[in-house]
Amino acid sequence: MEIKILKNILNKNQNMAVQVREHLRGKKILMVNIISSPGAGKTTLLEKTCEALTNRFRIGIIEGDITTDRDARRLQKYNIPIVLINTGGGCHLDSYSISRALESLDTDNLDVVFVENVGNLICPAQFDLGESFRLALLSTTEGDDKPAKYPMIFREAEAVILNKTDLIPYTNFRKDNFKADLARLNKNYHLFEISCTRGNGLTDWFTWIGGKIEDVRKS
Amino acid sequence: MCLPVTRYHEFAEIMHELRIAEDLISIVTETATEEGLKKVAKVSVCFGEMVQIDCGCFEVAFSEFVKGTIAENAEIDIEIIPVTAVCNNCKCDYKISNITFTCPECGSGDICILSGKELFIKSIEGD
Repeated sequence: MEIKILKNILNKNQNMAVQVREHLRGKKILMVNIISSPGAGKTTLLEKTCEALTNRFRIGIIEGDITTDRDARRLQKYNIPIVLINTGGGCHLDSYSISRALESLDTDNLDVVFVENVGNLICPAQFDLGESFRLALLSTTEGDDKPAKYPMIFREAEAVILNKTDLIPYTNFRKDNFKADLARLNKNYHLFEISCTRGNGLTDWFTWIGGKIEDVRKS
Repeated sequence: MCLPVTRYHEFAEIMHELRIAEDLISIVTETATEEGLKKVAKVSVCFGEMVQIDCGCFEVAFSEFVKGTIAENAEIDIEIIPVTAVCNNCKCDYKISNITFTCPECGSGDICILSGKELFIKSIEGD
């Protein structure tokens, strides 16, 4: 006997993501899902972003980390609420862990939640967390071929950040190749070319993300 | 004075192929029980190309997770669905190859993805 089912296998994750999104909409909170390879600069980007925006917005952080609390500790100096999720080898966060993490945050007193996903360009792309949008972060030392190799995340990201642009002279990273691949994948992304260590390009990012947080707050 | 970090351990978060296999088996066992099956012999699924599932890894995870369930030793049939789209500008539909999502006819980026992101269970067979 054959029984037709036709159901999304990740239905449970998807349903919880819808609930998380509704909850955040009700609280007028922007949630950003930051996805990148290990070492691309997610935590450094968050450090710079917290430095620039904690005086204007109430920021919360959900840290996905396989085993340590090192990233969370780096962000403690901003005196903002941080929830650390240790995945114990798991390669992504899912909407259930985000839902539990949000219970630990005072969502009546937040404007934005930055989720630092586990460093990985494939697995996190399959799991909707209920975020407002996805941010794909790439560093120049990883190579300009990453959008072509990991199309799903670069296709679905609303913002793409290219970090470590100051190192381009020391690598074979070709910005024209990178941009051509990105343009074939995604027509609606915002690209920021930055160097977190030198501070290049960060002002544009702060202005843009500040505008997004304001839009949700006024919605 | 810093705020303390709230820390969770979420060991349920595993490689995505394993997680997908685990969720699939829970749907299979629930459906089989509802339908009164005693044994599941075959499970058919389809995965979109964009999801980048490693089928070998998935099959190993599936064969491990079905042990001791109603679907033990069930065959797994995986269909890979290509990425296709329709252009909202000139209305042509096309298969996306070599990561070019823009319309091959008019060059528009205003497109709608029709397939390629599936993670579906299609059917189970058994008695």
